[in-house]
Amino acid sequence: SLPGEKKEFLQNGPDLQDFVSGDLSDKSRWADYKGNLKREKGERLHLPPWLKTKIPMGKNYNKLKNTLRSLNLHTVCEEARCPNIGECWGGGEYATATATIMLMGDTCTRGCRFCSVKTAKNPPPLDPQEPYNTAKAIAAWGLDYVVLTSVDRDDMPDGGAEHFAKTVRHLKERNPKILVECLTPDFRGDLNAVEKVASSGLDVYAHNVETVPALQRKVRDPRANFEQSVRVLKHAKEVQPGVISKTSIMLGLGETDEQIYSTMKLLREADVDCLTLGQYMQPTKRHLKVEEYITPEKFKYWEKVGNDLGFHYTASGPLVRSSYKAGEFFLKNLVEKRKTKAI
Amino acid sequence: SSEDKITVHFINRDGEKLTAKGKPGDSLLDVVVDNNLDIDGFGACEGTLACSTCHLIFEDHIFEKLDAITDEEMDMLDLAYGLTETSRLGCQICLKKSMNDMTVRVPEAVADVRQSVDMSKNS
Repeated sequence: SLPGEKKEFLQNGPDLQDFVSGDLSDKSRWADYKGNLKREKGERLHLPPWLKTKIPMGKNYNKLKNTLRSLNLHTVCEEARCPNIGECWGGGEYATATATIMLMGDTCTRGCRFCSVKTAKNPPPLDPQEPYNTAKAIAAWGLDYVVLTSVDRDDMPDGGAEHFAKTVRHLKERNPKILVECLTPDFRGDLNAVEKVASSGLDVYAHNVETVPALQRKVRDPRANFEQSVRVLKHAKEVQPGVISKTSIMLGLGETDEQIYSTMKLLREADVDCLTLGQYMQPTKRHLKVEEYITPEKFKYWEKVGNDLGFHYTASGPLVRSSYKAGEFFLKNLVEKRKTKAI
Repeated sequence: SSEDKITVHFINRDGEKLTAKGKPGDSLLDVVVDNNLDIDGFGACEGTLACSTCHLIFEDHIFEKLDAITDEEMDMLDLAYGLTETSRLGCQICLKKSMNDMTVRVPEAVADVRQSVDMSKNS
């Protein structure tokens, strides 16, 4: 027979009428969610309701997909299985589709334990038409804000920096008004490569530290590390003082609150302008398990911490990713800053 | 037939023993994936020699008989945490009949978190 608390739940929990009326609470508050949020040994956590997203479909989504394929372009949205793909590609509230174009192919030279992008020791050679095609496609969409990212290409002497920079230059030539954000690799710490991309005309230089220093070795490829990533972010600003720098951290990999706080402080001390925080989600069974699902309320707490620490903006939420609504945050922020200047 | 299957025991990071079977020619990564063994973050690069997450430690007598290591495997193995004298990458080791009933150990991926120093102080 059932344990006492289950019996009580049957008595006092929802009954058929609740389900039929469609009136159940939206379960976005953790108090309403009865499942486990912190992983115990041997178990795999279930996805909490605030992380469930709709299956992507619709005219905008399909149009984008077809345009990309016809121009032989890849998006990190598809390759890394981003849960926001339906929302961003569908156009969201402002009906402006956002996509993060992945340059230099869909195959990376590193195998990080959080990322499902394909890996190979020697990926196919770069498509020399890619910078031109990318600029052409983006011009065709009439996007206001575009994010360019890439895989790691440790097989190339400059890590692909010149290819990256060329794409930005082509883009700005075709459309000088477009805002460009580049989310770059660490180029193995090669600061000349960083400079090449930083001086290409972009507006936002992004590079992700991914996690707190204590978990770098566990989460990222051993060729990556926290200090190297911070050097990349610092150098971009040194060689291009007007540029805005941005980074991203995944939560839920086993980090403590103290570690998160001290990481945020370190980033602010390195003069990083923008920070995004999102929930790590296990992409395939070969990748790290989720250690904890952070509640929406906790994410809001970190947003406040980020604002108090002085970041230009802190985007924090379970489904927030580095380039999620990047344009909107940036533009909103810029507009507000310009208003206060004008006053 | 089940007579051809080779049994491998994995000692997981928490000390638990996981036993699985594979066919001759299967890599140890194949065995882990096909049997859904609960080894966290194993085989991130899908066996393309671009990571070291399938790092395994072998018994001496098994290690000696393994096929020679290639330069590419060595490059990645060198980056692995907790390297030992009998370490190899699981995706490069294929099952042979002589490996039946062998035990391999899954090494820690990082320093024991319970004893970790807060590395942010060192940066």
